Amino acid sequence: MKTFLAWLLWLWLALVIVGAFFYAPVAEHFRVPGSSRIVFFHVPMAWTSFLAFIAAAVWSVMYLVRRNPRHDRSAGVAIQIGLLFGVLATVTGAVWAKIEWGAWWNWDPRQTSILASLLFYAAYLALRQSVEEPEKRARLAAAYALLGLVVTPFLFWIVPRITFSLHPDPVVNSSGKVEMDPRIQHVLYASGLGFAALFFWIHNLQCRLEALVERRAALKE
Amino acid sequence: MFVKEWRCEYRTRYALNTLALFAFTTLVVVSFSLGPLGVDRSHGTAVLPVLLWIILLFSVAAGLPRTFVQEEETQTAMALRLSATPSALFCGKLLYNLTLVFALEVLVTPFYLMMTSLEVASPWLFAAVLAAGGYGLAAGSTLVAAIIAQARSKGTLFSVLSFPILLPLLVLAVELTRGATAGDPGGVAVPVLLLYDATITVAGLMLFPAVWNP
Repeated sequence: MKTFLAWLLWLWLALVIVGAFFYAPVAEHFRVPGSSRIVFFHVPMAWTSFLAFIAAAVWSVMYLVRRNPRHDRSAGVAIQIGLLFGVLATVTGAVWAKIEWGAWWNWDPRQTSILASLLFYAAYLALRQSVEEPEKRARLAAAYALLGLVVTPFLFWIVPRITFSLHPDPVVNSSGKVEMDPRIQHVLYASGLGFAALFFWIHNLQCRLEALVERRAALKE
Repeated sequence: MFVKEWRCEYRTRYALNTLALFAFTTLVVVSFSLGPLGVDRSHGTAVLPVLLWIILLFSVAAGLPRTFVQEEETQTAMALRLSATPSALFCGKLLYNLTLVFALEVLVTPFYLMMTSLEVASPWLFAAVLAAGGYGLAAGSTLVAAIIAQARSKGTLFSVLSFPILLPLLVLAVELTRGATAGDPGGVAVPVLLLYDATITVAGLMLFPAVWNP
């Protein structure tokens, strides 16, 4: 069953790639119209990074309520993957910004907020590394993750809205409407779904791996 | 709790002295590197508020982590755990940090304004931003200080952990300070800054017991 699901996921993502290049139209009003295809990968990466963060926050709450080490491990792994996808989203975004805006980096509010969230993920992992005792590490990391959760809305929604931005509108724009070709939407949502599934798959693998490593360390003692 | 903090502080005067000295040194470095002419008027309102908040941020990072680190180092943390409820403790530490930050701002800001000859068009807004921003700095740092006190490599970890938390506050505070020096009304940023302060306080009160109690 598991192998079947993994193959299904690969097939799905392969279809997304095919769809991105042969099914969806390009955005004609862009400087380099073809560059708009990056939306099918860049945006889902940013979504996944955010999903990882929300998942980590949920696991952190569960840890603080139930004090089950498994939840703590899940939260830690989620942030690791969130950092990976966040870096990917930032890099793909920078490539696109170079093509469309002429500079890799220009402190657009969205670039600022993703950079801040990358710093947050890195800080979270640094905190985990600098506490040895597992129970204490879990407690402190969970508290820090939730502190991050409460300030995130300021970074992602409020600050970009009160400062000027060149970034294309998010999928649902400020007037609450979706203004995108339906074919672009199909591929984009399919890609988002695929990336979310990819996240949970990697998460599952990495959690099992870390559990094995811990058990081996415990057996050695 | 608050009174105890000040009594300890009064005995050593360590935090206040380092904080004031650190801020003053940074201030001198900043205004020295700007040169004798300073920044010209048109750029001044854009650049100088940023530098002011950077001075404040770094001074806070130099001085505030001590509040909890010292309890762990002198091993009085256990006694505190037994004698005070977490919320009383958090409020006490927060108030203490708040007085430190406000003292710092009162010392630094007038000097800064004099040395850089920055003119403030709306002083009331300026003062309000300093108060609200200072409160956010103190509240954010209090919880982060409680977290890092129990980890290794405390000093460096504080800057790493506090920066992502304080970044929205800094963006808002810089934006508003610019507005105040140029004479714009704050607009929507003022309530957002206050909302940030309220959020961080509530989060601190709720998360502190988890950080503090084993």
